[in-house]
Amino acid sequence: MNLLPNPEQVQILDAARSFLSAEAPVERLRPQHGQIGNHDARLWPELAELGFLGLGLAEAHGGVGLGLPEEILLYRELGRQLISPAILGLTLAALLAARSDDPALLNAIVSGEARIGLATPRGAVTLGPVSSGAFHLIEAREAAWAVAWTDDGAALFRTEDFGAAEDILCMDSHLTLERGRLEACEPAIWISAADGDLPRRAQVLIAAYATGLAEAARDMAADYAKIRQQFGKPIGSFQAVKHRCADMAILAEVAWCQTVFAAVMVQNGGPKATYHAGAAKLLATDAALKNAAQNIQVHGAFGFTADSDAHLYLKRAHVMDFLGGDLRSQKAALIGLAAAL
Amino acid sequence: MNLDFTAEDEAFRAEARAWLNDNVPRGPRPTEGQAMRAFDLAWQRAQYDGGWAGVSWPTEYGGRGLELTQQLIWYEEYARSGAPEAALLFVGMNHAAPTIMARGNEAQKAFHLPKILKGEVAWSQGFSEPNNGSDLAGLTTKAVIDGDHLVVNGSKIWTSNAHLSDWQELLVRTDPAAPKHKGISWAICDMTLPGIELRPIMIMTAPGHHHFNQVFYTDVRIPLANVVGEINDGWSVAMSTLGFERGTASMSEQIRYGVVLEKLVDMARERLGEAALKYDEIGQRLAQLRAEHAAVRAMTYMIVSRSAGGGAMGSEASLMRAFFSQLQQRTRRIALDIIGSDSLELPDVDPWIRPYLRSFSTTIAAGTSEIQRNIIGERVLGLPR
Repeated sequence: MNLLPNPEQVQILDAARSFLSAEAPVERLRPQHGQIGNHDARLWPELAELGFLGLGLAEAHGGVGLGLPEEILLYRELGRQLISPAILGLTLAALLAARSDDPALLNAIVSGEARIGLATPRGAVTLGPVSSGAFHLIEAREAAWAVAWTDDGAALFRTEDFGAAEDILCMDSHLTLERGRLEACEPAIWISAADGDLPRRAQVLIAAYATGLAEAARDMAADYAKIRQQFGKPIGSFQAVKHRCADMAILAEVAWCQTVFAAVMVQNGGPKATYHAGAAKLLATDAALKNAAQNIQVHGAFGFTADSDAHLYLKRAHVMDFLGGDLRSQKAALIGLAAAL
Repeated sequence: MNLDFTAEDEAFRAEARAWLNDNVPRGPRPTEGQAMRAFDLAWQRAQYDGGWAGVSWPTEYGGRGLELTQQLIWYEEYARSGAPEAALLFVGMNHAAPTIMARGNEAQKAFHLPKILKGEVAWSQGFSEPNNGSDLAGLTTKAVIDGDHLVVNGSKIWTSNAHLSDWQELLVRTDPAAPKHKGISWAICDMTLPGIELRPIMIMTAPGHHHFNQVFYTDVRIPLANVVGEINDGWSVAMSTLGFERGTASMSEQIRYGVVLEKLVDMARERLGEAALKYDEIGQRLAQLRAEHAAVRAMTYMIVSRSAGGGAMGSEASLMRAFFSQLQQRTRRIALDIIGSDSLELPDVDPWIRPYLRSFSTTIAAGTSEIQRNIIGERVLGLPR
């Protein structure tokens, strides 16, 4: 038993961190405050070249042949850098394409050419071989495909399946958002949860991304508390601020440890994987939401401006909460499961 | 990253499970007094005789000399078996013994460690004083060297189970002129020495629950041979095992709490019904607690992983401690909401109400939540003092 990354995993982490901090600094989101759409899609071919788009795919499918433990290291960094959540569409669609033996689609994803958005249920929907219901489409405006999933399974749709989608301004205004509807639609690919573990994998990837958000907000708050002076001292020397930052550190640590545990459990398979994946999603989105809110408070009035990055973490945390089911539904699911002692 | 236990680990687990199955004491553990002492010492002795008392202790001191991973497995099986915590022996097992192992001389190790492990003695901790709690390093209990003895005068307070202990780890000021961290010594105090007097202090759990004491020292003569480490180096001796206390010492408790929570989940299911529970406020809180207790286990595994990798058990252990101490309170609190108005009743056999009241100590003992947050802020995040 060892929850620390092995040397190969550390290499992956270092490569992800150095590429993303150079190519996708958070400042990229600052000057054009507004709806810029899937700007990060320009990174997909480069991420593909580095092997990141096929990290968890078998080599036979053009992937790197690793798994969820490696993917969470990448996703934590993606969260820290606020990379478009459309990346999750790529990861999930690749798994769907691999399981349904669609080499053309697989190749388009793993090479970074494909654009794949996310479709999240608006209220109760039916997802299955015949799917119906109202959805939000996230980062799907320029995409040919959108991935949707519930606890029942995961599906790949053509974006045109959602009818005349209606553009809406997204609260996280760097993302495109549309309303769409499926009417008794057959997905291009459907994999039920019984045949695969896509919903669980999605939970853990979101947890890793959200942990990255929680950590970035923690670091931003602590860095500011070291330099911002009031009453002749750095505000981080006051316990009211220091303890707020300490709480952020606790939440981020809790989220990461459970996410690592869940990633290994899901990778190994077994009856307790759902429990731990749900716990990870719950704790990590909770940490992301709380840390993002605290970070705004630590920054004072500046934290309330569009010039600060603080609001970006909060809004992305809310997106992550709704992807795959919000905290309330996560909790309802978790209390319904058998104990996993 | 893996959760693979080796074949030896699994064999060890099976052996532990079988032994616990046959040897865990049946019947409730007395919660105070000589009856509690007798119970805890006997259970410790049984574990020693079975070869389970010191799984990760070095063999030269009577332990098995195994890794922290095996210690973790033992604690997991211990928790699953429902075995009672020998809480009276916590200070001896998890504080005095590691300190003596790390900083004691050969004579001190040879005399004290086997007694602690075999369940022959109980220890208490003489650290806090009436005017020095969180500001521990400002302590003023004075010790003067007289020949080959320290002569101690002063008072300690909030001393858990001093009235049931044979020995005490005692911090005294041996150089009042030195900076406050540089004039302290760490001594082993025999609680039967002349000049020691106790004043019982009742705690808030129930009328007449004697747990704390104030301890008065009047010209108490402690042999210099009982000083651990150098004279005036006692602060560093105390700190050498504080990381241990904040990291792995509570491992057993952390694992046990997951079992406590599941009893609450069962109770809530029974009273509210499975369907109602999901979106009920209590069900939502229980789900949050389930996730948090899962994370405690993951954090425990992470600490074991870091320790096996040679990482120091340092300030990061404060993250775990600060989180777990508040989690214990949230877990105990929800019991009252599940039980409802009957929680005003304090029954003789009381799995929920006294433990709830008792949980108020978790954010105070071994460094308050405020001190833990200072440590996290300053040593983990690098914020200014």
